[in-house]
Amino acid sequence: MKTNFKLKLIAIFVIIPFLAVLPQSSSVWAKGKVVKVGNIIPLSGPSASVGQQGKNAREMAVEEINAAGGIKSLGGAKLEMVYADSESKPEKGVSEAERFINTEKVNVLTGCWNSAVSYPTSAVAERYGIPFIVPVSVADKITEQGFKNVFRIAAKDSWWTRDQFAFLKDMEKEFNTKVEKLAFVYENGDWGKGFAGQWKVLAEKAGYKVVLDEPYPSTATDLSPVAQKIKRARPDVLMLVSNAADAILLTNTLAEYKVKLKAIIGSGGGHADPSFLKAAGKNGQYIFDIVEWETDVNKPGAKEANAKYNAKYGSNLTGEAVDAYLAMYVLKDALERAGSLDPAKIRQALATTNLTGGPGMIVGYDAVEFDKTGQNKHAALVMVQINDLGKGLERITVWPKNARRAGYTPTFPMPNK
Amino acid sequence: MIYILEDAINGVLMGSIYGLTALGLTLIFGVLKVINFAHGSLLMVGMYAAYWAIILTGVHPYVALVIVAPVMYLFGYYLQDIVIKPIFKAEKDVREPITVIIVTTGVWYILDNLTLLIFGPTYRNIQDNPLKGKMLEIGEVFISVPKLWGFVTAVITAAAVYWFLQKTRMGRAIRATSLDREAASLMGINQFKVYNVAFGIGTATAGIAAVTLVPFYNIFPSVGVLFDIKGFIIVVLGGLGSIGGAILGGIIIGLIESIAPQFMTATWTEAIVYGLFLVVLFVKPSGLFGVKYDW
Repeated sequence: MKTNFKLKLIAIFVIIPFLAVLPQSSSVWAKGKVVKVGNIIPLSGPSASVGQQGKNAREMAVEEINAAGGIKSLGGAKLEMVYADSESKPEKGVSEAERFINTEKVNVLTGCWNSAVSYPTSAVAERYGIPFIVPVSVADKITEQGFKNVFRIAAKDSWWTRDQFAFLKDMEKEFNTKVEKLAFVYENGDWGKGFAGQWKVLAEKAGYKVVLDEPYPSTATDLSPVAQKIKRARPDVLMLVSNAADAILLTNTLAEYKVKLKAIIGSGGGHADPSFLKAAGKNGQYIFDIVEWETDVNKPGAKEANAKYNAKYGSNLTGEAVDAYLAMYVLKDALERAGSLDPAKIRQALATTNLTGGPGMIVGYDAVEFDKTGQNKHAALVMVQINDLGKGLERITVWPKNARRAGYTPTFPMPNK
Repeated sequence: MIYILEDAINGVLMGSIYGLTALGLTLIFGVLKVINFAHGSLLMVGMYAAYWAIILTGVHPYVALVIVAPVMYLFGYYLQDIVIKPIFKAEKDVREPITVIIVTTGVWYILDNLTLLIFGPTYRNIQDNPLKGKMLEIGEVFISVPKLWGFVTAVITAAAVYWFLQKTRMGRAIRATSLDREAASLMGINQFKVYNVAFGIGTATAGIAAVTLVPFYNIFPSVGVLFDIKGFIIVVLGGLGSIGGAILGGIIIGLIESIAPQFMTATWTEAIVYGLFLVVLFVKPSGLFGVKYDW
């Protein structure tokens, strides 16, 4: 009797998943053709906040695309989004990509924000020949593996660091302030180390002295020791790569220990997180940050898209969200030209992308065009300063100078608080 | 030299707070013989409770203790009574019931994800609290005021829990159960009632730790995980089940984390902490202050 019961249980557990799958797939067929897009993003864990923004932006773009009649060359096929939570873990990214490709049969993959996740995941996409659109993941190496199926929309990190140093030089000149000593403090993952490696080369070339080079764990519960090290090294400028929780904690701790600096330069990520302004408050004032996009960017449609996003999800668009939003329009454009769900055809269409307009093009630069490695060669960056102009803290575009918000003079060097 | 002093002070203060976060973990293990994987999540729940109590009433952060500690006690009491006890009864012949550990893991995931669902992934902190960013400046030495409060609270809490276990009737019942649950039952002690109370006290101490953290730390759904891992290291270091050991273990971790980065990068410090964890496991598995019997 007992074994009989167990057998029944096993049978039930084997059968249930099939029953659950059946009606779903048949309803999909009833609705007509769909393009299945698999998205692997961090929806829990330390990067959940940024992952959620990426998801929101994707949903908004897909709603618009589907409402406007879907992919016309595919008979009005709708984009169907499936999401997987990477938890910022590389092994999760890989296994979810395998699942998406083998079980869910997705046509295209996108993701994964964390460079450490995108990197191994790109190898899975390449192996199966499924196009993999990376809206943002900055590690250079992602597009430097000789892969044919990886397409990155955002600038890679060597461009970020290049622009951070160009910005610093311009500020020195504009405000006639000499900067000699730099401190590099960064999260000890792929992203932070990638940035720091390039900072070192650039600093040497520009003749700066590096007085502190400090990787720290993003999961640190106390950053006072790091703040102390910064204070004792007496740098002029502090350059940071941080995730959200540690960016807030470090900003507050630096203020508590009254660390005097001429400037703090962030690298997006945690400093660009919408919770940063609220949670760091006054301590975040005057911090410079490099981003791809800001709400005050002077592009047609940008203000409207931001207003719509804000009304829907209660926060402003961020660089990450805009890239995810744009990625859906890049995909739509490629699908229109491919006219097929064959991954090789979609891949070919993506490779010949030259998108210069449409609702997705609310980024600071003028076109999306991929080079041989799959990198968008037009991607460019802006620097912002966090400041209070009487309406609470906001992020104000300051660099390049021709993109600076009209009438704003950056505060440099930082006044002692 | 003055630098080392400053770092040591910060290490002791922060470490005692780590110890306080691990206090409940060690207490619950000592009595139930169960590693409570949900402990970090209980800390997180405590932080949200403290956050809302302070934001909604506008009181001084430490006044929130009056609300948070009893609420967390009841939360822990009934969590044990409703969720964990049935599993315990099913496995009552085992000294260290494995399924209960799995249940606590389930509780951890449910609590973290429920919080994510309800409050979103936003990082919060309490901007206008009288302790935020306060520093004592003695010459060149900076001492964080909220951490100092945390230190005092940790010491008082540990002492109070110790006193409770030593001197009260319920405390003696808890100790008796932890030594030998069968014998205690034969003496007329209601084993499951004792478990409920111990779990409640453990959760209340997590609530107290949460209150010490909110004046200077971020509040977000996965915050518990950061303290969870540290908590396990601390209780192994101090000896599973030892109240004083938890605080001292915390202080040791705090000192390493605070002083070592001045000689190496903060990343290496973490390796040292985990290395120490392994060494203790190899050399003295009962922990620095643990005894063969758990009390």
